[in-house]
Amino acid sequence: MSQINRREFVKAIAAASSAAAVSVPLSACAGPGAKRASGGAKARVVVIGGGYGGATAAKYVKLLDGDIEVTLIEPNAVYTSCPLSNEVISGHRDIKTLQVGYDGLKKRGVHVLQDMVIGVDRTKKVVTTKGGKKLEYDALVMSPGVEFHYDNIAGYSEAVINDIPHAWKAGEQTLILQKQLMAMPDGGKFVIVVPKGPFRCPPGPYERASLAASYLKHHGKTKSKIIILDANDSHSKKGLFQQAWKAMYGFEKEGMGTNGMIEWVKASEGGTVNKLDVASKTVHSDFVDLKADVLNIIPAHKAGKIAVDTGLAKESGWCKVVPMTMASAEDENIYTIGDSCVAGEMALYGNPNANFDMPKSAHIAMTQAKVAAAAIVAKVNGLPTPQPYYANTCYSIVGDDYGFSVAHQYRVENGTFKYIKEGSGVSPMAMPDKSPVPAIYRKLEAEYADGWVRNVMADAFG
Amino acid sequence: MRHNLLFALAALGLASAPALAADPIEGLARTCNNCHGTGGVSVGYSMPSIAGLSETYLKNILMEWKSGARASANMTRLIKGYTDEEIAALAGYYSKLPWTAQVQPAAKELLAKGKDVTERCETCHGATGGQPDDKETPRLNGQWAKYLELEMLKYRDEGFQMTHKKMMKNTRKMEEGDVATAAKYYGAQSK
Repeated sequence: MSQINRREFVKAIAAASSAAAVSVPLSACAGPGAKRASGGAKARVVVIGGGYGGATAAKYVKLLDGDIEVTLIEPNAVYTSCPLSNEVISGHRDIKTLQVGYDGLKKRGVHVLQDMVIGVDRTKKVVTTKGGKKLEYDALVMSPGVEFHYDNIAGYSEAVINDIPHAWKAGEQTLILQKQLMAMPDGGKFVIVVPKGPFRCPPGPYERASLAASYLKHHGKTKSKIIILDANDSHSKKGLFQQAWKAMYGFEKEGMGTNGMIEWVKASEGGTVNKLDVASKTVHSDFVDLKADVLNIIPAHKAGKIAVDTGLAKESGWCKVVPMTMASAEDENIYTIGDSCVAGEMALYGNPNANFDMPKSAHIAMTQAKVAAAAIVAKVNGLPTPQPYYANTCYSIVGDDYGFSVAHQYRVENGTFKYIKEGSGVSPMAMPDKSPVPAIYRKLEAEYADGWVRNVMADAFG
Repeated sequence: MRHNLLFALAALGLASAPALAADPIEGLARTCNNCHGTGGVSVGYSMPSIAGLSETYLKNILMEWKSGARASANMTRLIKGYTDEEIAALAGYYSKLPWTAQVQPAAKELLAKGKDVTERCETCHGATGGQPDDKETPRLNGQWAKYLELEMLKYRDEGFQMTHKKMMKNTRKMEEGDVATAAKYYGAQSK
């Protein structure tokens, strides 16, 4: 391919800027597969949910084919990013840096409907909203995120979350937990209850513990404790977290009653909480009774309610997908992306051979959204199904100038997901010659986390 | 030419071309956009814009990461999942997109000092970073200053394995306090 003629390019930009979107279909697009929807649009795409997944899907459908009508339905006017919201809890970041509205998508020609979907008629291909609207679709993108299930813990319910916040959907909940952490006196106990996986943001609870420790350390509250009661026997980036905790927060070893600011109690040693006394903020497991000063229970979760109600989450409460396109295994006209889907095998931490499922992260939701968007546009235009590429990057911040990450890549071979092991993995715990990892590596990744969140927010919502 | 132009416009969100939906390199590049910005134009200060960098530079750096010759905090892991042909195609793809300088304004005094401390950089990168001497050298004008500063820290750190001897030599000669100044100087340049 030859270099772009800059003058031609500048002229084109000038012309393009006078219209919201310029659509220049290539001749190949008017193939026999091209469909016409009623009302003039080439096709109608409805997106349920305006998180990272839904916003990205809406934007990229519009980017690839401006003649497709795209409507995104989301109950909230402002989205708050879950990634890096642990930094808000610990006072390291202003929540405003994680908030974004939908004007960027509107400017791209996406219709944004502030409403909530209450029903999907898969036969008639119609979506019904709480506000009484009915929208027909040719393709539906289902990206509702997760629904919390409070019933695994006796005494726990949605009614108590203003007192016992989960802060697992960012926004008001994040600020409640921040306030409680900051009001906790020295010597207090901050207890984080982790549900059995899979859950969204696999390293999130441990990053939260790290940043809370950083806050307490810097504010002279060094007698305080952060105790993680975990319904799992291992977790994401465990080696890296424990290495960092040892270096910064006096972490001794796994288990309860140890020295150091952070304690991690796994499932087999009593980490699975099954009972809560709300008034005293006391949690119980088979082996442990623990009274907290600040109690952060992350409820178990499954696919969003609308995905379940639509019959898309048959297996184990999550939506199964067709690897090539992210279409639902139940319905070829619905694309189930983001935290509500399970792509590949279920998460099984601790089994080195089983780490090939896609984690529930913003990054993976976005690459799934891009795969779905390309598949939809190709289908509408009678093009062959595009080759999908899935990638994940997830940064965790654990203290000042100290971050690390995990990367995942997946491709599709013979219709099934293939985990690309050689293009995946966590930050090193030691250099190849066994020497310690130079501090600059950790500093760089802490800095990259900030650049990452700014770019993913812009790539999804901008 | 027309197809090429569409690539560029579509990447910037100024035009749409449905055929790009089925293009494998477009598909691969869409995953890069997460961190490097839509169409390779970054808005995150620590992440570089990659659209419009020279093909040779992009290919060299990606292949050095893949072989392990050059260190990176994270790219060394990711890039091993790509074939050499894909890497070459991605380098070609991003190099054909236009360079978008993110001009970060700086005070007059800083610019004057920056001009002074970047004298040693001029031979290869050009006076304002926009006219590199050869295709192996990246342009710096309007690149994110934070990113440029972090790159220089890598070259200056003996524990971080870099490959470009001239860069190591020159950045290590700089006063510590001048590193951020040099980075901000280039970040403030439009061309």
